[in-house]
Amino acid sequence: MTADLIVRDLHVAVEEKVILKGVNLELKKGEIHALMGPNGSGKSTLANVLMGNPFYQVIKGEVLFKGEDLLSMSPDERARKGLFIAFQYPVSIPGVSFASFLRTAVSARRGYEKELMPISEFQKLVREKLGLLQLDPSILTRYVNDGFSGGEKKRAEILQLAMLEPEVAILDETDSGLDIDGVKVVAEGIQALYERSQGNLGILLITHYSRILKYIRPHTVHVMFDGRLVVSGGPDLAEELDARGYDWIREQYAVVTAEIQETGAVRRAGKVFWVQH
Amino acid sequence: MVGDSRTQLVAAQLTRETLLALSKQLREPEWLQKRRLEAFDLYQQLPMPGPHLEEWRRTDLSGLALDSLTPYGQGMILEDELRRLIAFLKSLTGAPEGDRKEEWAGLLVQGSSGVLLQDQSEALKAQGVLFMDLRSAIREVPDLLQEYLMVRCIRPDEDKFRALHAAFLAGGTFLYVPRGVEIALPLISSVWIEGEGVAIFPHTLVVAESQSKVTLIEDHRSSGGEAQAFSAGAVELILGDGAHVRYISLGNWALNTWEVSTIRGILGRDATLHTLVASFGGNVVKVNVESILQGQGATSEMLGVFFGTGRQHFDFHTLQEHQSPHTTSDLLYKGALADRAYSVFAGLIRAHYGAQKTNAFQSNRNLILSDGARADSMPKLEIMANDLRCTHGASVSRIDEEYIFYLMSRGLTRIQAVHMIVDGFFSEVLDRLPLEGLREGLREEITKKMQGRGT
Repeated sequence: MTADLIVRDLHVAVEEKVILKGVNLELKKGEIHALMGPNGSGKSTLANVLMGNPFYQVIKGEVLFKGEDLLSMSPDERARKGLFIAFQYPVSIPGVSFASFLRTAVSARRGYEKELMPISEFQKLVREKLGLLQLDPSILTRYVNDGFSGGEKKRAEILQLAMLEPEVAILDETDSGLDIDGVKVVAEGIQALYERSQGNLGILLITHYSRILKYIRPHTVHVMFDGRLVVSGGPDLAEELDARGYDWIREQYAVVTAEIQETGAVRRAGKVFWVQH
Repeated sequence: MVGDSRTQLVAAQLTRETLLALSKQLREPEWLQKRRLEAFDLYQQLPMPGPHLEEWRRTDLSGLALDSLTPYGQGMILEDELRRLIAFLKSLTGAPEGDRKEEWAGLLVQGSSGVLLQDQSEALKAQGVLFMDLRSAIREVPDLLQEYLMVRCIRPDEDKFRALHAAFLAGGTFLYVPRGVEIALPLISSVWIEGEGVAIFPHTLVVAESQSKVTLIEDHRSSGGEAQAFSAGAVELILGDGAHVRYISLGNWALNTWEVSTIRGILGRDATLHTLVASFGGNVVKVNVESILQGQGATSEMLGVFFGTGRQHFDFHTLQEHQSPHTTSDLLYKGALADRAYSVFAGLIRAHYGAQKTNAFQSNRNLILSDGARADSMPKLEIMANDLRCTHGASVSRIDEEYIFYLMSRGLTRIQAVHMIVDGFFSEVLDRLPLEGLREGLREEITKKMQGRGT
């Protein structure tokens, strides 16, 4: 079976500055991939460009989602087809009721064309998911992310994941800014959603720290460095990064970079590899 | 057709002869006829306001063919349209389909200047509340009218349009609430311009005696057409000590209709006035909204929503006049402008010498939805007191693309996202209204304005 999300040689710029320099990634439904890496390596850029944030310009490469050209789709088409992103910094939108936004979003995802999903059905669904994330129902009466605490924002993102039932979800540092208890609630929520999906949810879990991986066991761990995925491995890689930090990757990466400039060939130094296209 | 033929003055113009004929036809008392003629003289003497005046620099009335307009028109309406209008008015009170009279305390529907429907609860009458069209009021309570009509609040000599209004005023609403009477349910009044080339002069006079409480919703609409229609209205709100008045003006004019109106409240000691001006329709609409905080401890909330599309032009000149200590005013006007629409907001806070411990807030926010749309916002302060709290803010901005991306990332189309954000923009005002049916009605108007355009 081919992967549901295929990223090939993706190059992305923000205001002339090249951030992603050739990202390759394959993710199948039912898999959990962790994407780690130091700050500024391009993790959030990858997440945003996959969702279609107009602030980022794709300069090269392609992305297939369920066999279709993802990059030619508008963000809303991507969402309706089953792609989801939990934002690192969700924007607050004053005046827009969280409940009516959620209902409109779920209706769009479920293919309601003219009307919205019946209110009773929506309420039943949302009540169940609120419980899962230990969110107070009063959050529905508030404006989208407006005045939410850091923890509420992150849980509200996962609530949207739960409501929209995507096939591939990108979680952009959903654990950052939370204390241990906060991480636990969010991670357990994600894990529960993953288990309930029975193999129909693939997750790309972007994280700076390994602590969330104690609750959510990834099948594969990637390390992003300087706009490329430079190391991939099993869950043990996350533990290694936790123990050793990123410096050893930086050193090996420097060796590979130097050699590749000389020879232009596929190089490897220790665990770090780089495929020149 | 339903209507009142007594005011038909077919093909007459805005002249002294028309005025005399009208006054005679209505068998008006002498004092009123005299006032009309004096006002007409003023109208002829006063200069047409134009760009040489700061107030009129941004609103051009040169396209208004005042001399070719006929006062009042026919005051007729198709029964279907009347039924639809009544259904709309009922929906403002939150009443479901069907006749649930208890949802409002009184209902008054007038076509150009004649009464089409009048209905009020028995309880209201028993409490001594007077709620009727202006002509009936002139007939039934002339003394009250002589005492209040354009005497204490808005005066004919203020400018040309107020003089014109004073000369021709007809139709509109008279509401008198005796001392201590509180009316929980809203009173609703609707003014309808039927036909083209018509000018109307609706006058609303609300006298709320001390410790009384009332809500009046006024709806304004017109049938539309090729030729212009014009409304020169005046709303006088006179609040006795401790009176609570909520006044809501809905501007749902057709696109051929021009309007120049003044809404002014005079507040006694500890009185509270809430106004809302909602403008969605019309061609060129200029409304002055003023709260004169005369009595100590008076409070005024001034809300405004407007949504301009096409080539609509809205002009709001607001005044928060603090004449006494411990007075509070809180103004919030929010508008969206699309296509080539243009809005002007000029808001003045004036605190008189001695108006200490005053709180005055003013905020005007404008959302630009198209490259060709424009909003000018001009806050102004004249502060003569030295111990007060006063803030003002104005902004003209576009929708944040980050908001749109966030909503689209959840599956909303761009159009849905923009609609939701615009709706949210207006919520800050609408959420302050305690009338659910009215909130919904305003949301529907906003939706209609959104749907009338591409994005």
